[in-house]
Amino acid sequence: MLIETAILVGFLFGAGTWLVLQGSFVRILFGFLVLSNAANLLVLSVSGDPSGKSAPLAFLGAPYVDPLPQALILTAIVIGFGTTAYLVFLLYRFFVDFRTTTFDGAREKEEKP
Amino acid sequence: MDSLLLTAIFLPFVGIPLLAVLGRGERSGWWAFLFPLVSTACLVAVAIGTGGEPATLRYPWVPSLGVELTFLVDGLSLFFGLIVAGIGSLVFLYARAYLDGHYGGHGRFYASLLFFMGAMLGCVFAGNWLLLFVFWELTGVASFLLIGFFHELPVSRSGARMSLLVTSGTGLALLAGLLLVGQAVGSFDFATVAGADFAGASPFWLNTVALLVLLGAFGKSAQFPFQFWLPNAMTAPTPVSAYLHSATMVKLGLLLVARMAPVLQEATLWGPLLVLVGFATMVLGAVVAFLANDLKMILAYSTVSALGGLIGFYGLMERGEVSGDFVQILSHVFYKGCLFMVVGIVDQACHERDIRKLGGLRRRMPWVAAACAVAAASMAGMPGTLGFISKETLLETATALAGNGWGRYALGCTLVSAVLGVAFSLRFFLKVFCGPLTPATETIRPPSRVIRVSPLLLAAGTLVFGVFPGRLDALSAWRVAGLHAPEARHYALWHGWSAAVAISAAIWIAGFLLYRLGERLEWRFTGVPAALQWGRLFDRAMEGLIALCARITRATGAETPSHYLPIILAVIPLAVGTAVATQGTLPLPEWERPDLLRSVIALVIIASVCGAIFLKTWKSQLVSLSISGFLVSFYYLLYRAPDLALTQLFVETAVLVLVIFLLSRFARAAQRGEADDRPSPSRRGVNLAVSVLVGALAFASVAWVSGGSALPKLGPFYAANTVPLAGGTNAVNTILVDFRGFDTLGEISVLVIAMLSALGLLMRVRADAGRPPEPLPSGSREEPGQPPITSPILSQSSLALFGLINLLALYLLLRGHNAPGGGFIAGLCTAISLILLHLALGIGAVRAMFRFDPSRLAVAGLLLSLLMPTLSMFGGGWFFEHFAFHGHLPLLGEIHFGTAFFFDLGVYFVVVGIACKLIFTLASSTARFPLPREEVCRYAAEGETTIEPSSEGGASC
Repeated sequence: MLIETAILVGFLFGAGTWLVLQGSFVRILFGFLVLSNAANLLVLSVSGDPSGKSAPLAFLGAPYVDPLPQALILTAIVIGFGTTAYLVFLLYRFFVDFRTTTFDGAREKEEKP
Repeated sequence: MDSLLLTAIFLPFVGIPLLAVLGRGERSGWWAFLFPLVSTACLVAVAIGTGGEPATLRYPWVPSLGVELTFLVDGLSLFFGLIVAGIGSLVFLYARAYLDGHYGGHGRFYASLLFFMGAMLGCVFAGNWLLLFVFWELTGVASFLLIGFFHELPVSRSGARMSLLVTSGTGLALLAGLLLVGQAVGSFDFATVAGADFAGASPFWLNTVALLVLLGAFGKSAQFPFQFWLPNAMTAPTPVSAYLHSATMVKLGLLLVARMAPVLQEATLWGPLLVLVGFATMVLGAVVAFLANDLKMILAYSTVSALGGLIGFYGLMERGEVSGDFVQILSHVFYKGCLFMVVGIVDQACHERDIRKLGGLRRRMPWVAAACAVAAASMAGMPGTLGFISKETLLETATALAGNGWGRYALGCTLVSAVLGVAFSLRFFLKVFCGPLTPATETIRPPSRVIRVSPLLLAAGTLVFGVFPGRLDALSAWRVAGLHAPEARHYALWHGWSAAVAISAAIWIAGFLLYRLGERLEWRFTGVPAALQWGRLFDRAMEGLIALCARITRATGAETPSHYLPIILAVIPLAVGTAVATQGTLPLPEWERPDLLRSVIALVIIASVCGAIFLKTWKSQLVSLSISGFLVSFYYLLYRAPDLALTQLFVETAVLVLVIFLLSRFARAAQRGEADDRPSPSRRGVNLAVSVLVGALAFASVAWVSGGSALPKLGPFYAANTVPLAGGTNAVNTILVDFRGFDTLGEISVLVIAMLSALGLLMRVRADAGRPPEPLPSGSREEPGQPPITSPILSQSSLALFGLINLLALYLLLRGHNAPGGGFIAGLCTAISLILLHLALGIGAVRAMFRFDPSRLAVAGLLLSLLMPTLSMFGGGWFFEHFAFHGHLPLLGEIHFGTAFFFDLGVYFVVVGIACKLIFTLASSTARFPLPREEVCRYAAEGETTIEPSSEGGASC
């Protein structure tokens, strides 16, 4: 295994989780971005050690890195963009309705009509 | 014969998109009228061709699973099919005149009506129980669309919702019953199920199946206790009531009972339950019809009553001995359809449906009065009408079976409801059409000539068959073996003096006396009693259920992520950890020496994410987060993934721009308010612990899961075969476009869905919430439409840069199959170029330059990507097989070209479309730039407006 990738992925997941557990929606958004990067890196690490291998382009000659995780991650990145955009719009709408970016603030606003 | 039947069933479905798109004006009614006419003609031809002999059409669909499309043409299905298509033609003609200029949305109406007709025909002709169920549910959906046609009215919406919930809920019971039968027999085919021998089955099983199937039938045919949805469905336009809720859809329960009777006769519950519920509903419906004041309510409850009689009729007789059911169904169809159409004409002319406020209309609309007279006479069972023949049939059967208890019960119920029927039929006709004119009926416009045709035709049919009942003997050619009695029944006006004659006479006299009694009391006691208005109970139960769910959600803290996320995120590592620990110890994975460049980049990524956590302001957090994102792109390069690196680069840019727009709109006070809101130390401890757990799990996953494993992998196969099988040298792109193209199709659909949902969030704020939304505190820009970055260098060079970047995008698109690039990457590149243009020139200028709607581009791209694999099916290949062409062009040299390029082109359009749409919409909204109104109205329902009141007055759609 590649120890630097392992440490990086572990740290990114931890940091993303920390951000996602905050009470502010903006921090949750940032945590979501970190988590999607972390998840992509996790899938990429499954392809193993890339040293000595070439990119999966046929004119570079064997041996190749595993192209299947790369294909999966590519769509994951683009769909992650779509989901992030949705999250951004949701946060915008949240702010318009409640005029606050924290969940506790929203609950207070809801409780006093 | 096959093609005729298939045309009859599926032509309406073909008509749906045509009418929905083209049918904007009033003339579309004539085009819509063609479809049921053609279906009727085809069915008549089929009927003549088969002559009542049963025939089955089978089309294999998934032969390995034994799934085939089976259609059964026998007497029962032909009878129902001709009713559906024939009455459909009359209803379409009537609807053409009814909708004339009064309402909008004609195309949508005719499309939904055609959808219903196609689904109904499919249900009638289905030869496989599962196929019947699918069409059964489709008729429920079509009914929902039609009842809720006036969707601005809350009462329409609740009526539609109620009908869908009740019929689909009971449909689930039906599905359960069908599945039980199918599992026991081993197939869902009609013939196989009918031929199976259930004598050995346990009575409990038989009764359960019977109960489930009957629940489905009762729900669809509005029998007790589900009768409340039919009166509430009267909010539909009258043609819909005439078609669905009297003549066709509610008869599906009857069809189901008729088809199931030979199979489930052994169940001891079958007959008694049918008789009990059916005849009880008959009395209940008749009583309420007598008491109701709204014309449509009278007819709705009388439909419930008539259906009760029909369903109970099937329960009275043993299988193999049913006769006379066709006549009864036919008579009900004729008179009920006619009466509903008459009500529609009266309602449109007088704008009044309360029977107490109407009178003397025969002076204003004599032809309509004549039709109503005939139909009401048929409803009462007067001689000379088809209703008399059917009443006689029912009475004969009931008196013949009066030997046992059920027969006596049935006879009693029939008598009571017949008496009430005479009374309310008399009231219906005499009150509305005779007597003095009332203020509502004084000055009305006479109805058009076209609108009178259908009711008159139906009334004529009633008369003809009533006066010459010998014609009805032809119906016996359509008896179904196993259900109907083998001897044909002969219908005549006069069977000689018999008990039935005496009973009929007694009924007429009693009914007439009841009517006189009501007249004497001036109908003061009328009005549907509140205890019977179960619809309101149902609505309140629905609201209570929703409130209960909301309360449970709030109590379990499932609304705030900071309450439920720690639990979820802590359980996963703990569960995995304990599972691994119980297996024993794992050997430590072997690890290579860390590479210098990778380690440095990883350290910088970690540092920038720490910056995102610990920095104070949002903007600085975002910047350091973006640094980490761009460095991850570099990390992908170090992993020999050039496609990934390109994609990540562009996506990170787009996300950065998106979040900047968002943050610029927030007031500064929001950020300060957030800084004050720190979680408690214990809370932070919990969060830290959970984060460490999740991080440790991720570390362990990478450590132990990556690296070689003994299992063979799929990736090397793709890498080795990318040139021979897919014709391209970029293995990643060929996986996306060729090997796993179907997944990519799903993924671009997800992108389009995400875009539509996000737009829906932004576009809809209820304008009736009382007050308009308060304007947000102004962001950084004073004047809407100004470019976000005012730099003369940027604005001068932006157009040139735009061209250059798009040239790069085109290059990336064209070379994608053979080198890093492809549809996703090129699409993001184009989107970035448009973002650049917007940053330099402002949203107003960009919108003026590009007048098209990017969401249409996205949908076009999706259709293009869907089209290419489908076309290859016609070319002889299978779905998603790509073809490659190699050729030699004189100037350009060798050309390698494949259909995979068009698929990639579709992906390109989708990505460009969604990225531009989302970013531009957010930019416009945050800049308070007015969006073009028709674009807003495309995503907003009526009565809603955008979040930011535009300078166009915030007008609702």
